[in-house]
Amino acid sequence: MTKKDISNNKQTNNALIWTLTGLALVVALAFLAHWIKLQVYNIKELPLGIPGKALEYPLWAAIIGILANFLLKATGIYARLKPGFRTELFLKVGLVLLGATISMVDIIKGGFGAILQGIIMITCVYFFSWWVAGKFKLSDTLRAVMSCAVSICGVSAAIAAAGAVQAKKQEVTYITTLVILVALPLMVLAPMMAGWMGMPQAVAGAWFGGNVDTTAAVVGAGTLYGEQAQKIATLVKTTQNAFIGVVAFLLALYFSTVVDKKAERPKPIIIWQRFPKFVLGFIAASILFSLLAGPDKTPEWVANGLNSIKAMKDWAFCIAFVSMGLDMSLKDIKSMGWKPVVVYLIVTVFNTILALAVSWAIFGWLFPA
Amino acid sequence: MKNKLNEDWLSVIIAFILVLLALIGLIQPTWMKF
Repeated sequence: MTKKDISNNKQTNNALIWTLTGLALVVALAFLAHWIKLQVYNIKELPLGIPGKALEYPLWAAIIGILANFLLKATGIYARLKPGFRTELFLKVGLVLLGATISMVDIIKGGFGAILQGIIMITCVYFFSWWVAGKFKLSDTLRAVMSCAVSICGVSAAIAAAGAVQAKKQEVTYITTLVILVALPLMVLAPMMAGWMGMPQAVAGAWFGGNVDTTAAVVGAGTLYGEQAQKIATLVKTTQNAFIGVVAFLLALYFSTVVDKKAERPKPIIIWQRFPKFVLGFIAASILFSLLAGPDKTPEWVANGLNSIKAMKDWAFCIAFVSMGLDMSLKDIKSMGWKPVVVYLIVTVFNTILALAVSWAIFGWLFPA
Repeated sequence: MKNKLNEDWLSVIIAFILVLLALIGLIQPTWMKF
């Protein structure tokens, strides 16, 4: 073994130790968020008449994540710990576990509405965003990444679109930051607004699924509003997630035929490659538990298992929300100027209003829960 | 892209291992109480 090999091994070991430390930190912060939630739960009424039980764990987890983010950056160890902050991984584990708690009948019932809403929202919001970004003279690649992020599902869609149109890495990190910065306040504001409007759980869930950009914040908003809202919000967002592959294929086709004619034409296999596989896990878990639960009385061992799964799902989401706060970065926003921020905010307002109308029409009138 | 695919499948595998452990009673609801 050469000196170079020994040095490389040492570096790999160090990186692994830092990653595991980051992971342990996220889990510890999730425990802290859970502890704070329990303390606030015991307070009957907070200032402004807000009941303690209304402030659910996504809020505390995100706040703790953001505070830890600033603290770690100030101490200079943030970059080394960052590989341990796995928002997407924990979120997807939580989503597959959530699938076990939703019966297949509910998925089929809500699925029609979710697919219809997904098609309307993705088409309208994507083209509106593309048009507004064009008016502000943003580059075609940034327009594509932003339009996908805002119309489909935030971070994952931005990454998929970036691959399809060969966007710059800086554009992806910029949009990812913007998504989280806008989604975090929306995660709290959307359930509050839904409460003021007296929205039924299913309609509110569909609204969060349509207007909040990133899947983690959608689940957070649904959790803050109620159990059924969480399920419908997740179903709507998961359905939108499933469209990523198709949109990435169409984008790659458009860029290779219109924007950059020398680029290689995409193959249809890209639809499968970009398809978020956790959606399959979500459906498989639902089918498994729909079969195990049986038509009459759920066997005790299944009910017992399901209770553990529900709790593990909440832990996975809690860890994901802490990671989301930790992932936030303001540096990228400063580097690209104000224009994309303005475009993103205009499109978010449009998205919010359109999603409100569409979710009322579909989940309040066409397919009421 | 490759990493993303791996992470997607990894989440499904982890979730199903947890489901299996919960079903055979190796993870009890009282331990996980949220």
